[in-house]
Amino acid sequence: MSQSNMLAMILAGGRGSRLLDLTNKVAKPAVSFGGKYRIIDFPLSNCANSGIDVVGVLTQYESVVLNSYVAAGGRWGLDTKDSGVFVLPPREKADEGFNVYRGTADAISQNIDFIDSYNPDYLLILSGDHIYKMDYDDMLNYHKAQNAELTVAVRPVPWKEASRFGIMNTDGNGTITEFQEKPKEPKSNLASMGIYIFTWKTLKKVLLADMKNPDSSHDFGNDVIPEFLNTGKKMVAYKFEGYWKDVGTIDSLWEANMDLLGKRSELNMDDPSWKIYTSDASTLPQLIGPDALIDRAYITQGCIVFGEVHHSVLFTESQIGEGAVVTDSVLMPGAIVEAGAKVTRALVADGVRIGKGAVVGSADSENITLVAKRVKGEE
Amino acid sequence: MAKAFGIVTAASNRYVVEGMQEYRPISSFSFAGRYRLVDFPISNFSNSGIDRIQVYISGNPRSLVEHLGTGRQYNINSKRGKLQLLFHDEGNINRLYNTDIAAFMDSIDLIERTREEYVIITSSNMVFREDFSALLDQHIKSEADISLLYHRVDNACDAFRGCSVLNLNRQKGVLGIEMNMGNAKDRNIFMDTFVMKKALFVELIKKAAKTSSMYHLSRFVSSEAETYDIRGIQHKGYFAAITDLKSYYDANLSLIDSETARSLFDGKWLIYTQTTDSCPTQYFEGASVKKSMVSNGCHIEGTIENSVIGRGVKVGKGAVIRNSVVLAYAQIGKDVVIENQVIDKWARVIHANEVISDADKPGYVRRDDTL
Repeated sequence: MSQSNMLAMILAGGRGSRLLDLTNKVAKPAVSFGGKYRIIDFPLSNCANSGIDVVGVLTQYESVVLNSYVAAGGRWGLDTKDSGVFVLPPREKADEGFNVYRGTADAISQNIDFIDSYNPDYLLILSGDHIYKMDYDDMLNYHKAQNAELTVAVRPVPWKEASRFGIMNTDGNGTITEFQEKPKEPKSNLASMGIYIFTWKTLKKVLLADMKNPDSSHDFGNDVIPEFLNTGKKMVAYKFEGYWKDVGTIDSLWEANMDLLGKRSELNMDDPSWKIYTSDASTLPQLIGPDALIDRAYITQGCIVFGEVHHSVLFTESQIGEGAVVTDSVLMPGAIVEAGAKVTRALVADGVRIGKGAVVGSADSENITLVAKRVKGEE
Repeated sequence: MAKAFGIVTAASNRYVVEGMQEYRPISSFSFAGRYRLVDFPISNFSNSGIDRIQVYISGNPRSLVEHLGTGRQYNINSKRGKLQLLFHDEGNINRLYNTDIAAFMDSIDLIERTREEYVIITSSNMVFREDFSALLDQHIKSEADISLLYHRVDNACDAFRGCSVLNLNRQKGVLGIEMNMGNAKDRNIFMDTFVMKKALFVELIKKAAKTSSMYHLSRFVSSEAETYDIRGIQHKGYFAAITDLKSYYDANLSLIDSETARSLFDGKWLIYTQTTDSCPTQYFEGASVKKSMVSNGCHIEGTIENSVIGRGVKVGKGAVIRNSVVLAYAQIGKDVVIENQVIDKWARVIHANEVISDADKPGYVRRDDTL
């Protein structure tokens, strides 16, 4: 099905160093989320559901897992004759010495040849590390209706937090008049979500000039958007009201997982009209033991629960042994809590084993405890 | 190239499962919450390196065709491998014409054109794990003409009543294949699985078809027991035969025991199926789940014990499900009590206070029905 004249590029090069040991071996977009997903499943599924056929994924940091993961475009249905997911790490080119992306804008500039090969009218720029559901086609319609050169998705944030974000100031018609990166005294509470639709012809011209500018940091926020503003190109803000989360820290990653436990989770994961697609695990369903106790939980296939679960999220093939108690915690894929162990307010990383009777995390800790290494239990 | 190609026969022409089968062939019965019966033989073939597979379909093909698709989920090489769906149905003229031999005759040209020297024929109503390439090696080494796979059981008086049994001599030579009449506990249950050379297979089909329209392959092979060297090969491990509603119910519930479940679902021998991209299951306040197998996409607010729950099932507050098999997207309303039931897909039990049957004779709630 060929339908969209918009191509998407996902910036997935971030290290995600505030996720500590979780991103030692995988890039942030490949971090697991919500029981069976990875963070990048969200923008990729949004693309697939919005009718976007071609998606480039710009990778840089520790990208082996990420590259092999996104290369199988069939997971998101993006593997027809007209569609595909393409992994685009920095390349060495004959005429230039580049083999790193010098900034977010540079990542696009270095792939102008790729983009041009599809001859799109519009380019959608996304970030690979946010959790949200959004119809980019609605945003494109808005972009067209407004006759804009650039549409920036924004969401209202609490005023007291506005100084942590890139803030878009708009006039009464939604036209962006000013952009302030982390302003001390914000004039608006509309924060940029890092989601842009550009009219490709216009962006390409700006990027070609930016590449040659020795003073540029080759960044969308620092360089490209100011350039659009300075040269009077029409920029509009597109307001998004739904669930959106930047899972940049262990605490926020934990929190976003906990958000799934509510009865009316805003993310509405089981909306059949907007599914989030991911890799298919060939495991048996969830196996719940004779003495298990499950009190508010989000559990996926392959989990084996013999102990107690309170208000927690269990990822693919995680296990809880007899008499173990998991409370307010996240068990990532393959994490094992052995018999009698106690896990409280913790995030247990992929494949980590908590030994028999061991105790990790505590109910009154300020931060969530990240358990990234095996915890020995009683012998 | 693999030395054998695989055939999955349509169990629907030999067995009848009350209720369930009105809506789909046995091959596409849901099993263990997220699988269909046909996933087991196809995964066995695929894991054994056999990726040219014929699946015979008898009656209501829609759900099976939809489920199998291109076969990509089975890890079959999309260029080298092939999953052929072969539809055969004699309609309602007379059930006796609806034989596996008739289905093979319909596709005899396709069978003859396969390049593999051997064929392994198995049935979708038999649930087990088997390395077919090892089985083939064993067959070749034995120099027998035909090998038949069987499972030794000690409860053939009550269970496996719809199955055939192998009558073996001491050297495991097959003297005949008979119906299980339930008159002995210890029996060699025939798993409807044959290994032989393709040339012999073709010869047998043609000969059987010429002799009588009523022949099924197993009966014809039995009648030729003196002509050919036929041997039994014993299977060990998990085995279930789905031959009626009770055996379907029992086989599903056998898996709520974790040891039994792990004997079928070994982490290294994957069973593939079609994903529906359903999200994880939500357990809300008031949920109590014990000794059960639960699939993804469910909303659970009630009690579930000793049950197998399919994808996307909704269990209301105060509802109780005991000893039951609930298929995908069914809805069990507030305070409803369900015991010893097979609840078919999309059924809504919302008005009835309780639906309780005898443990020996599980009840059945129709697909898409409202109670």
